[in-house]
Amino acid sequence: MEKTLKSNRAARGTVPCDNTTMNLLKANDFMAEGIRKRMAEQHMLLINITSSPGSGKTTLLQETARRIGHQINMKVLVGDLETERDAERLRSVGLDALQIVTGGICHLEAQMIWQGMEALNLEGADLLIIENVGNLVCPAAFDLGEDYRVTLLATTEGDDKPKKYPRMFLTSELMLISKADLLPYLPFSVEAAVQDARDINPDIEILQLSSTNGTGIDAWCDWLLEKVSEKKAASVLNAS
Amino acid sequence: MHEVSLVRNIFSTLEAEFSEAELQKLTGIDLKIGLLSNVEPMLMQNAFEAVTTAENKFQEVKLHIELIPIEIFCDTCGQASPVENYKFVCQSCSQPNNNIVKGLELLIHRVHFSES
Repeated sequence: MEKTLKSNRAARGTVPCDNTTMNLLKANDFMAEGIRKRMAEQHMLLINITSSPGSGKTTLLQETARRIGHQINMKVLVGDLETERDAERLRSVGLDALQIVTGGICHLEAQMIWQGMEALNLEGADLLIIENVGNLVCPAAFDLGEDYRVTLLATTEGDDKPKKYPRMFLTSELMLISKADLLPYLPFSVEAAVQDARDINPDIEILQLSSTNGTGIDAWCDWLLEKVSEKKAASVLNAS
Repeated sequence: MHEVSLVRNIFSTLEAEFSEAELQKLTGIDLKIGLLSNVEPMLMQNAFEAVTTAENKFQEVKLHIELIPIEIFCDTCGQASPVENYKFVCQSCSQPNNNIVKGLELLIHRVHFSES
């Protein structure tokens, strides 16, 4: 248990604070643990998808719903600063999606996910996907209680992003190189992106895909289905 | 990142732990910020100045930030090594490693009050 700031010492001179975590993250991490526990009890997989804006998160989820929407019961929470557009796009392919409008906040916090979970009907769901706010910086610091963090790197962004935004790639279990159909037209080196990502995170899994021509979508869906069944099989004790 | 909200959270943390009278005597706050926390010390200082001015409190308080470099610990070698240029490799056995033991901090380390 972390010691609190309040000590028996008088507020005089230098007072050590036992390295007290700043409130913001302490509150977030507490909620994230709550989410993790709840998801473990329900054997429901929680995936946090992050990336820069415009790297194809929503399009990938639309494609995912078309491929495996009939096999598993999946729900989506999608975060943006403004508009309901992404949730509408996801609903158009039959997904049960709820938009979280952050109104200027650059990331999703665990509290928002908790509230979103209350609002969605999660009865019988196998998988809850969080489509985070497009941003490679801030969302990296916020644990949402997810089982896996998946980060998209679009070929149009350039292959230097893992080195530029190390924490995001460090905390991700899977990197998806999206818009792979554009590789012939872009100075993007898959090898360099893979090398840089593995320098930061030796364990990161990497897939190449294109939602436009279908490359790699099967591999992504297989990955997802495998993780869903692993979560189903996991005992609550192991998962928590 | 979101330095302004972090500054507000420093204040709310301190306000929850110390009385108003005690905080009147606050002179300094020491933070430990890890290189991986995605917090930029200069922006944090600017945000601190902006919030103290806007909220008209703690204006005399000095914010000191200690930047903590990234360090990993290798279980095989039993050794810690620094991480340079975001290459997460044990410097003893050269194996990839991301068992981070330092560099993620976002902590209030110490606070200083006037002696009187």
